[in-house]
Amino acid sequence: MSRSKNLAIKYLAAAILFFGVMTLSGLLSAAYYINPQLLFGVLPFNIAKILHIDTMIIWLLMGFMGAVYWFLPEEFEREPVGIWAAEILFWIFAAAVLVVAAIFLFVQWGPATQTTLWLFQQGRKYVEAPRWAAIGVALVMLVFAWNVIGTAIKAGRITGIMAVMSVNMVPLVLLYLIAFPLIDNMAVDLYWWWWLVHLWVEATWEILIGCIMALAVMKLLDTSRRIVEGWLYIEVALVLGTGILGLGHHYFWIGTPDYWLGIGGFFSALEPLPLLGMVVHAIYDAGVHHMKTTNRPAFYWTLAEAFGNFLGAGVFGFMITLPQLNLFAHGTQWTVSHGHFAFWGAYACGVISICYIALQERRRLVTVNGAGWVWAFVLLNGGLIGMVGALLVAGMAQAFFERAIGGSTLEAFIAGQENPWFVLGMYNRFGFAVMFTVGYLALVWNLLALGRRETTVLIQPAPAE
Amino acid sequence: MQYEDPNFWRAGAVSTTVVMAVVLIMLTIDSLGAISPGGSHVPPYTVINRHIEYAYDNKFGRDMPVIGKDEPLFGTPVNETDAAALIARGKLVIQSRACIDCHTFMGNGAYYAPDLTKAWLDPAWEAWIAITGAESKEEAMTRFLMKPDYYATWQRKMPNLGISRDEAVATVAYLKWLSSIDTNGFPIHFGRIQVNK
Amino acid sequence: MTPSMFIFTSLSLGFMVLAAGAYALLYGAARFKCSRVLLFLASLAYAMLALDAVIVLLTTPLDPAWKLLIAASALAYLGIPPVTWRYLQRTHRDEGAHI
Repeated sequence: MSRSKNLAIKYLAAAILFFGVMTLSGLLSAAYYINPQLLFGVLPFNIAKILHIDTMIIWLLMGFMGAVYWFLPEEFEREPVGIWAAEILFWIFAAAVLVVAAIFLFVQWGPATQTTLWLFQQGRKYVEAPRWAAIGVALVMLVFAWNVIGTAIKAGRITGIMAVMSVNMVPLVLLYLIAFPLIDNMAVDLYWWWWLVHLWVEATWEILIGCIMALAVMKLLDTSRRIVEGWLYIEVALVLGTGILGLGHHYFWIGTPDYWLGIGGFFSALEPLPLLGMVVHAIYDAGVHHMKTTNRPAFYWTLAEAFGNFLGAGVFGFMITLPQLNLFAHGTQWTVSHGHFAFWGAYACGVISICYIALQERRRLVTVNGAGWVWAFVLLNGGLIGMVGALLVAGMAQAFFERAIGGSTLEAFIAGQENPWFVLGMYNRFGFAVMFTVGYLALVWNLLALGRRETTVLIQPAPAE
Repeated sequence: MQYEDPNFWRAGAVSTTVVMAVVLIMLTIDSLGAISPGGSHVPPYTVINRHIEYAYDNKFGRDMPVIGKDEPLFGTPVNETDAAALIARGKLVIQSRACIDCHTFMGNGAYYAPDLTKAWLDPAWEAWIAITGAESKEEAMTRFLMKPDYYATWQRKMPNLGISRDEAVATVAYLKWLSSIDTNGFPIHFGRIQVNK
Repeated sequence: MTPSMFIFTSLSLGFMVLAAGAYALLYGAARFKCSRVLLFLASLAYAMLALDAVIVLLTTPLDPAWKLLIAASALAYLGIPPVTWRYLQRTHRDEGAHI
């Protein structure tokens, strides 16, 4: 197997490992809402949350990288340029993530100095990791970009999918530089921070997962390159056409001019349209192959990606995107409901699909099926939908009682948090989080056990009469 | 047919992306002017020397910050340089303690603890002046930040984050400045209850 | 916007997009199975979307510009499944995998 594919397996394995850290820290974060005395003075909520959201970014990034390293040698018909650097950096990356996690757990915070920002804690959401680690991440991504773009240059030719991916690498890497500065003015800080977060998860990441899913669909369903490339270009046009100015839906309330209410609301309201197109495409692909494939889990996780993206980002996003409504829902558990569903549907399902595709080839399996993947699929998706539903109820209660009626003071906040519907939502969310955690364990078990007990059946032709 | 040709859609993807990116850059240049201190939506840091309120404005049809008479923090006005230094320190406190991973600022962050956009204007501080034995709101806030677990607000306590007096004063200054930003009416009718009709 | 109206409007808009998804799913199934029953159900799903949009237009306090956007979106959702389907059929035609 090629060095790039071997590296891909490592990245996918690390992704699944950090998926587990995300799940456990999420379970802990959920527990605080039920028992606020939990680990008080030992491990505060914000540290559990930092671990949860940062490992989410890390495991998805590692999943994307694993997927790309998996398909690179096939797309370019050669080992990627600079693979040796990527191999070394993988171990450094993984080790750095563990060190940062340990710093978050055992150091947690520091005094208000630049030293704290450099060594322990930067305290900006999703990019809390200290600057030394952020430099490491930037380096890993630069080498990743070099592996893709450098190989295209060396090969002297490029497929449409890899061209899109290569061009997309540039803003993907450059945007990460926003993780570094200390900006005194919160309005300016959040302005640029949203360039990083939104133009990652609602633009460059969408393009990246679009490229990955294009490669996956070619592999799973034997769809022609011409078809997937045409579709990819349509996706890029629609996703970036709506998403670049859809960034404005984060600029309603941070001190920016009020023209953002109109611009952000308008483009953001258009964002579900391409997602509906993707649903139609998924149905078409499923039907045209009569739901038949040699890799059922990969296929079903790809379908889950299309539907989850539409529901989580499209339906749940549309509920709260118009500024007149966002005014009430902003900064509540309603946002959390949408965020969990959107990230799961748009990215997590896709990465899990790639794990199954890679393992089929790695373990030389003719078919991939069985009860194991079904358990993981049902428990993970069921758990996620349950959490999202519970958060929706809690979020609606919070938006109604704290914001719409209460006036958003401390007293209103407490009233919202103690509202019976909110509390019910928190308990249900925790219950479904447990279900999700069991689903994660089932996924790990299935990925480890896949094909280990498979017997190869030789079909002998009948002897001639 | 033209629309079956991937190259048609590739041209569409490139042109759409370029046009949208150019518009975003133009709007960014305009917005950065508005959100810089002294811009149309963000007062200069020396606003911490003034009284700040939040009231409904009939002309704009929404809540707006109102900058009033002189009311310096701790009775001592600060010049531009010192105000900027306080704000810079306050932001360092907020980042070094990862406040945004429990609280929200202008609705962004985590949802375990209250939104801090208008925390300076929260009516609850009246009670905390008495509870902390302080002479002023800013003193009460400072004492709270230094020992939040001692002056707990409710069952979900804020942990002690080792915030020194200097750091607490800077954070209070930051929150006062933050409350003066024109956030297009968020949070709606802060401090006033609306009956659901 | 009263608190209740905000909840009602948010849920209505979410329902609108959800109905669009149901319409797309049933439309696709109808085309595959060549089923009039499924096509009827798809039409029913779209009818619910349209009814929901009309209720939003008539009862919510959104400004006219936003109501125009909702109406235009509702029309766009009508066209997306058949247009996308036609595109997919035409592009797959040459691959010998058409429905």
